[in-house]
Amino acid sequence: MDLALIIEATIKVLIVLGFTLMGVPLIVWMERKVLGHMQDRIGPERVGPFGLLQTIADGIKLFMKEDILPSQVDKAVYFLAPAISVITALVAMTVIPWGDTMSLFGRTIALRITDVNVAVLFLLGTTSMGVYGIVLGGWAANSKYPLLGGLRSSAQMISYELAQGISIVPIIMMTGSLSLAEIGRAQEKMWFIVPQFFGFLIYLICAVAETNRAPFDLAEAESELVAGFHTEYSSMKFALYFVSEYANMMVVSGVAITCFLGAWFGPVLPGPVWFLLKLAFFLFFYVWLRGTFPRLRYDQLMSFGWKVLLPASLLNMAITAVVMVMRG
Amino acid sequence: MALELILFSFFALIAILCALGVVFHRNPVHCALLLVGVLLSLSGLFILLNAQFIAALQVIVYAGAIMVLFLFVLMLLNFRGESSVLSPGAAKGFGFLFSLLVMVELLWTALSPNGGEGGGMPPVAALPADFGSPAAIGRILYTTWLYPFEITSILLLVAVIGAVVLAKRKFA
Repeated sequence: MDLALIIEATIKVLIVLGFTLMGVPLIVWMERKVLGHMQDRIGPERVGPFGLLQTIADGIKLFMKEDILPSQVDKAVYFLAPAISVITALVAMTVIPWGDTMSLFGRTIALRITDVNVAVLFLLGTTSMGVYGIVLGGWAANSKYPLLGGLRSSAQMISYELAQGISIVPIIMMTGSLSLAEIGRAQEKMWFIVPQFFGFLIYLICAVAETNRAPFDLAEAESELVAGFHTEYSSMKFALYFVSEYANMMVVSGVAITCFLGAWFGPVLPGPVWFLLKLAFFLFFYVWLRGTFPRLRYDQLMSFGWKVLLPASLLNMAITAVVMVMRG
Repeated sequence: MALELILFSFFALIAILCALGVVFHRNPVHCALLLVGVLLSLSGLFILLNAQFIAALQVIVYAGAIMVLFLFVLMLLNFRGESSVLSPGAAKGFGFLFSLLVMVELLWTALSPNGGEGGGMPPVAALPADFGSPAAIGRILYTTWLYPFEITSILLLVAVIGAVVLAKRKFA
């Protein structure tokens, strides 16, 4: 372990952490602004130029608010749950590559925090641990709406995780690698969205469901469950759930870009810039969906996941296998 | 080497503390969470043994899927008093007997000169480079261990069909 390696790793961790945590207020601003214009309003505009500082102001407000601890909560779990949500989201960020390599000060630096050889499985593992943040948050508050919301969203996440995982399997078969960096590198000639268009569609739907976003945001269906699993959370703990939701959006978008949309490859501009542009497009897409689609009913959502998406992803996998064997 | 030892002690200590917590804690949900802690630290130990694939599966399958279902059941049933088939005395007796057996077996393996009957683990350096990688495990599963692998998958299929049949019966 030489010193330069440790410094390099620390800087990379700080960059990714900084981008993620600074990105969240920016995405929230973008969401409110875009939704505003979609609904023929202006959106936030009072704080800072174009209302850019609005989310910062909201963040400060959340910091200053009283942290209400409902009576009868399970304290340890109540405190642990939001932390689990944020930690799993940020840990998942470590394996997503945002570029190939660059040389700086005579060193070759890989533009990712780490390249585990089972990165795809690592990601699936962290997302499946992320379920705990929600289910525990719902349970610990000791109140009926959070419990129902928590159960709903965790059942939803577990169901869609399956189809999501299987929709990436054809990519793994085509590249023969579970490392995200390898998968990204294999797309220099052709983005995998071309041969795997259906896989991409399945992944996209699952990604939206996985992050509990509209039209799959049944966990926090205001009209029936108050605010779902985080009803009893206030102040910074609520803010942590908020951050984890947006960080998770960045993670699933990052995976979609790496697996289907040609990772960091693109003409003219350098890799990391392309990665950020694609990420921005995905996040805009999320808001777009929220602005245009009505929410599904819960039983529709579950049967869609199990009876349509899962068989479709299995079929996609089987067809890919057959085609690969036939082409030799 | 020193780093490996530190990591091993770290994960082992957490695993033991969480395991003790699982046994001694009163609240079933806390017990389940501590069991998740045990599984996670075990996955850390798997990584130290060069078995990244098994480590990832440990987290996805056990900690991620099975324990969440455990938690669901515990949360929805909301246990007040625990009831068991055995009387508390008999349960303690059986528990003591079985844990004693396991301990004797473990001590036997650990203390015998070449690590028990199988000759123990080869040193990590002597393993092939791709040991524990998904490709290597897949190759072994589909060649050397094909029959056990297929039999296990039939067993799982039977379990899946059984679960569907049991769940369906309510509505008939």
